[in-house]
Amino acid sequence: MKIHKRYISALVALLFSVPVMAQVPAPAPKQSKPMLLKGATLHIGNGQVIENAAVGFENGKITYAGPQSGANLSGYEVVDVTGQHIYPGLIQPNATLGLNEVESVRATIDWREIGDMNPNVRSVIAYNTDSDIIPTVRANGVLMTQLTPVGGTISGTSSIVQLDAWNWEDAIVKADEGMHLNWPSMLIETGNSRADERLKRMAEERDKTMLELEKLFRDASVYKAGKHNSENLKLASMTGLFDGSRKLYIHANYGKEIIEGVNFAKNNGVKDIVVVGARDAVAVSDFLKANNVSVIYSGVHALPSRAEEDVDMPYKTPYLLHKAGIPFALDYDLSIHGTRNLPFIAGTAAAYGLDKEQALAAVSLNTAKILGIEKQAGSVEVGKDATLVVSSGDLLDMRTNNVTYAFIQGRNVDLNNKQKVLYEKFDNKYKKQQQQQVPAGATSSSAGK
Amino acid sequence: MKKILTIAACLAFSAGGVMAQETFPRNGVYDERAGLVAFTNATVHTDYKTAIPNATLVIRNGKVEAVGANVKVPAGAVVMDAKGKHIYPGLVDMFSDYGLPEVKVERRNWRASPQLESEKQGAYNWNQAIRPETNAVELFKIDSKQAAELRKQGFGTVLAVHRDGIARGTAALVTLAEKRENEVVLKDKAAGALSFEKGTSKQDYPNSLMGSVALLRQTYLDAQWNANNPQKEQNISLTAFTQANNFPQIFEADNKLNVLRADKVGDEFGKQYIMKGAGDEYQMLPQIKATNAPVILSLDFPAAYNVEDPFDARRVSLEDMKHWEMAPANAALLQKAGVTIAFTAHDLKDKKDFLPNLRKAVKYGLSEEEALKALTATPAKLLNAESMVGSLNKGMLANFIITTDNLFAEDGLILENWVQGEQYKISDVPADYRGVYTLKLGNDTGRKLLVSGTAEKPELQVIAKDTVKGNISIKGNLVTISFAESKDSKQSIRLSGWVADKNLQGEGQLPNASSVKWVAAYSEAMTEKEKKDRAKKEEMNAAIGSMIYPFQAFGQAQLPQQETILIKNATVWTNEKEGKLENADVLIKNGKIAKVGKNLSDSGAKVVDGTGKHVTPGIIDEHSHIALDGVNEGTQAVTSEVRMADVVDPEDINIYRQLAGGVTTSQLLHGSANPIGGQSAIVKLRWGKSAEEMLVENADGYIKFALGENVKQSNWGSTQTIRFPQSRMGVEQVFVDAFTRAKEYEQAHKNYNKLSKREKAKTPAPRRDLELEALVEILNEKRFITCHSYVQSEINMLMNVADEMGFKVNTFTHILEGYKVADKMKEHGVGGSTFADWWAYKMEVKDAIPQNAGIMNQLGIVTAINSDDAEMARRLNQEAAKSVKYTGMSEEDALKMVTLNPAKLLHLDDRMGSLKTGKDADVVLWNDHPLSIYAKPLKTFVDGVAYYDLERDEQMRKELEKERMRLVQKMLNEKSGGAKTQVPRSIKAHVVHCEDVQHSEEESYFAY
Repeated sequence: MKIHKRYISALVALLFSVPVMAQVPAPAPKQSKPMLLKGATLHIGNGQVIENAAVGFENGKITYAGPQSGANLSGYEVVDVTGQHIYPGLIQPNATLGLNEVESVRATIDWREIGDMNPNVRSVIAYNTDSDIIPTVRANGVLMTQLTPVGGTISGTSSIVQLDAWNWEDAIVKADEGMHLNWPSMLIETGNSRADERLKRMAEERDKTMLELEKLFRDASVYKAGKHNSENLKLASMTGLFDGSRKLYIHANYGKEIIEGVNFAKNNGVKDIVVVGARDAVAVSDFLKANNVSVIYSGVHALPSRAEEDVDMPYKTPYLLHKAGIPFALDYDLSIHGTRNLPFIAGTAAAYGLDKEQALAAVSLNTAKILGIEKQAGSVEVGKDATLVVSSGDLLDMRTNNVTYAFIQGRNVDLNNKQKVLYEKFDNKYKKQQQQQVPAGATSSSAGK
Repeated sequence: MKKILTIAACLAFSAGGVMAQETFPRNGVYDERAGLVAFTNATVHTDYKTAIPNATLVIRNGKVEAVGANVKVPAGAVVMDAKGKHIYPGLVDMFSDYGLPEVKVERRNWRASPQLESEKQGAYNWNQAIRPETNAVELFKIDSKQAAELRKQGFGTVLAVHRDGIARGTAALVTLAEKRENEVVLKDKAAGALSFEKGTSKQDYPNSLMGSVALLRQTYLDAQWNANNPQKEQNISLTAFTQANNFPQIFEADNKLNVLRADKVGDEFGKQYIMKGAGDEYQMLPQIKATNAPVILSLDFPAAYNVEDPFDARRVSLEDMKHWEMAPANAALLQKAGVTIAFTAHDLKDKKDFLPNLRKAVKYGLSEEEALKALTATPAKLLNAESMVGSLNKGMLANFIITTDNLFAEDGLILENWVQGEQYKISDVPADYRGVYTLKLGNDTGRKLLVSGTAEKPELQVIAKDTVKGNISIKGNLVTISFAESKDSKQSIRLSGWVADKNLQGEGQLPNASSVKWVAAYSEAMTEKEKKDRAKKEEMNAAIGSMIYPFQAFGQAQLPQQETILIKNATVWTNEKEGKLENADVLIKNGKIAKVGKNLSDSGAKVVDGTGKHVTPGIIDEHSHIALDGVNEGTQAVTSEVRMADVVDPEDINIYRQLAGGVTTSQLLHGSANPIGGQSAIVKLRWGKSAEEMLVENADGYIKFALGENVKQSNWGSTQTIRFPQSRMGVEQVFVDAFTRAKEYEQAHKNYNKLSKREKAKTPAPRRDLELEALVEILNEKRFITCHSYVQSEINMLMNVADEMGFKVNTFTHILEGYKVADKMKEHGVGGSTFADWWAYKMEVKDAIPQNAGIMNQLGIVTAINSDDAEMARRLNQEAAKSVKYTGMSEEDALKMVTLNPAKLLHLDDRMGSLKTGKDADVVLWNDHPLSIYAKPLKTFVDGVAYYDLERDEQMRKELEKERMRLVQKMLNEKSGGAKTQVPRSIKAHVVHCEDVQHSEEESYFAY
């Protein structure tokens, strides 16, 4: 009886509810006709700026990016964005967006697998395109992300996806492009005898892990898929490291860890190495440069590591890396709710020494290069995917960041999201309340009519 | 059989020393001896300031019978000639755990189920950390090993303190003689002992420093109440607490801030504690002096850090480096400032470091007289035992030491330590073999031996073509020497022999296995030059860098001063009806805003060009957890008795970092672990000032409430399911219950206060309860609520409870679903202090939207943006800007959300939050539009003092590096000079959010 009643009320609710749009908007349809955005300031992503520019794209690819005067408008649907700014879609590396919905709820966490060495696990298959969070990130100009598994020593394999898709397969920009190695933390002696025992245990633990790593890399380097009596998923997943087809992302922060980790990888024949986190990157910049290693720096909106450090050390590190000639990109250190603030990290880097266009590159073209997708993404250049953002003001400053259009592979992305829907819902509630209350005089006069 | 004999021998031996064991039956014949001994020809230091040369000291029956230059040796006395020797009163250590059981503190695993109640059975206190019923004398057992160790350092008497718990009961004054306990106890209850450490108690409460403070305060109140109303409750602990209060109170404070905190508690209850300090008191000298507390000083000086690896050396903080250099000067600095000091060997892991470190303290400026006083007269006086110990006048205990020389002389040795007339030999006069010898090794005369070091521990250098270090040991008459053949050789020459007059000689073996005869002929004493070099080196080491305030990176020797400042031609965001003024001036004078307008002038002002720059009021962070030693006392559902003001840490580097982000005032809130948390502290970021000086004067009191997942412990793991409440339903009941009790409490006190004097005398006064007092303050609008909240149901609930119980909620903080009930909030008159765009981190924030602040503000709710995060607080202006982005809020309104609005929420808008004549000069000068990501503060003024100045900051960075370099070099020298070093330490302070259950400095084992 009770159930019945509830059922009925649910039915009634359905009948009377206003058809509110789905909270996660439908992915945009494929680009059907050529489009041209004109009149904007174009920030290409490679450091160059073109005033009064036009960007044309067809079938998802950029066909024109240059001064408006040089654009051939015929056949294009022209959108006037005069006074606005065009940027490449920003790319968030080292992130768990779509792999986790609510950080404290275990059931929604898909970025951590059990076990210490999981080179074979693939993040992309857990990517939830229907996450409520993703549309809010797009709305600030972030259009691609690297799905990064977390935890253990080898946490798994990441993929790059674009942020407007029906399912993970359709979202893929580059699948299984890199393996993530969390370099075992170097231990320090504390000088505290009470801690000694625990420290000793931890040191033994670390030695064991290092030995495991060595064996794993050694075995993987001689492994040839299909030529063994029994397939080994772990080893098979690592073979790409040695021919350069798969990158190795070493997550390390302490200077000595960075050196140790990179040397380990090099000595084991790993071809393509990126250091992630890299809080001490400036201190070991000569080493990084000599070894041709690029960096994904995680700690911009962070506190200095030590009281003695300059108070703005994390803010100016991107500039210092640039000055040292280290190829680098920026990320938001795995924080999901921080993901949409990626443009502002670049803004901070610009406030503390970096040129604004260089700062933009640190969240677009540099990132694309480091992730190995620069042929199709990262800048607004002819031949690349039409993955770009239009903002009415400076995208890197929250004061002016206001995304009016986002295109992913030429598709005009819906910028609505759950938060906007909730905003409208309650904003309307209060507007109606005010209409009922405020114009007391007006109501009475209209009643007179 | 053999064993029995040994035991018998022991018994006989000890019986010989028996003097007064009247109540004990004897087995065997009586063997009482008077122990009449006369020491002649000594320099007797009868007290710390009196030395009598060529004096005689007569002792009998364990006491001093006579002392002086013209004392006659009584008939029958054993005469001991002490010519050339010094006799001092035996030293007194007034903080020791001698003879007491070890206190093993095991921390409960935070995952384990909570222990809400005391596990001690009997009519004791509710809290296990309150154990004043402990009397050290009842636990005391003579410990020969410990006694010998302490006697070697010259001690004759110690105060035995059982270091367990917050109220530790009484301590006993005992000598280090090895007799029966009955004889060595001088005072069974010599002092009461207290601390903030809960010791072996595994009971949850208190799990924070502020909880310890509150518990101690409540215990004083409970003990008073119990003493006045003995019929109400039988409580052994409270009775004992009252009794222990009759003795001098020794408070063990493990750092300088805790000394100040403890003193505040003492003041409240009319107690002047004697502080057991940690050795860092010099870093807050004026405040320590102001406590008037005598301080028992640690002589545990840190070893130099091993800083050879520049990478690892970065882990050593500036404060640790400076403390290494300055710690030995602590005693001198305190004593010269007029603080009464005593010394303890308690903190020394190796008690052998005591004398060397004491001498070091003297080298660093403490006079010998004061050093001796701190070990004799002072502790004796503080413990009311000056008629027994601390000097060598007639009638005092025969506790004294005999030394070769002045006790403070580098090579001075303690030969004997007499305790209660019992003789304990410590060392022999060492033969001094230091000097230069010519070595004849077979026929080879090409080497010289240079013996230096101390007489006890000689060091050897062998001088030939190369100089090599060698080893020499001389025991009695026998000599052993070894050294390398040459500098690069690994082959050693080994010699064995004996002392013959001043020469050494014997036989040895060469590396080729052939034996050889050798003679080392004494040629000269240690050269004068060498002696001088040594003295000079020590002198150099005693030079110390300058004090900085705070004692931390970016501290300064001189704090910036209040100035008259005229900022010209800037864009001025007034937050007043004038709005934003272009090309305007701001005049700051006497810490206040003197004027805002155009074309201002002031002849005495320092003019700052504001062209192209912006001026705003200082940023106010309504929700902060920086500068705190602990955030949550999350053990009980209601902890309104705890106060953040008790645990403000004025040395947190985040204060300076946030000044660099334009923050001038912060509300330091309790965490959100329980429905009713602790009382807030509102501080101005006066970097370099003390905790007391940072508190905003006459600010209204605030308190933290919390709702939702944290208080119901949803995300704390499966063991934390015991404490009520575990659901939002229970949360409501906690509030209703607490305020119901508070009302009854208030009524009971009102009723009592209404009584006439006569009636009062007959009626027991109701108990004072700190927890309920805070709630009564809320009911009377003397304390205001900031409530951590997320979802609409709970927000609604608290407003309903407030209406029902007759109080107001001042502010909902976090309030991420405020937009859903903004109309109700408006009606209740409550403010909202929220995040700009945080969400998705837990279930209760899944409906959070970045337009929340915009809606609340739109509806006329006083809305603020807060940090709850030490990093984000540095960019609060940018967080406010997000409301412009998400809801189109006006820029001026957005800025108000981090300035004027939080000032309103804190009832400080009459002094802060806008640029208006007469308001506090809490002002920020920005290089760019203050809502822009590109903006950074150039200067941050608090009360007209530029606590942050970008240019000065750049200068300080350089000086900081220079100072570190100087200290690194000094440590390297120390190390190459052979001194002990320790590995760099890395202690990481948590960045605290209100979710954190416990804030403790955690030692990290990881390099990063």
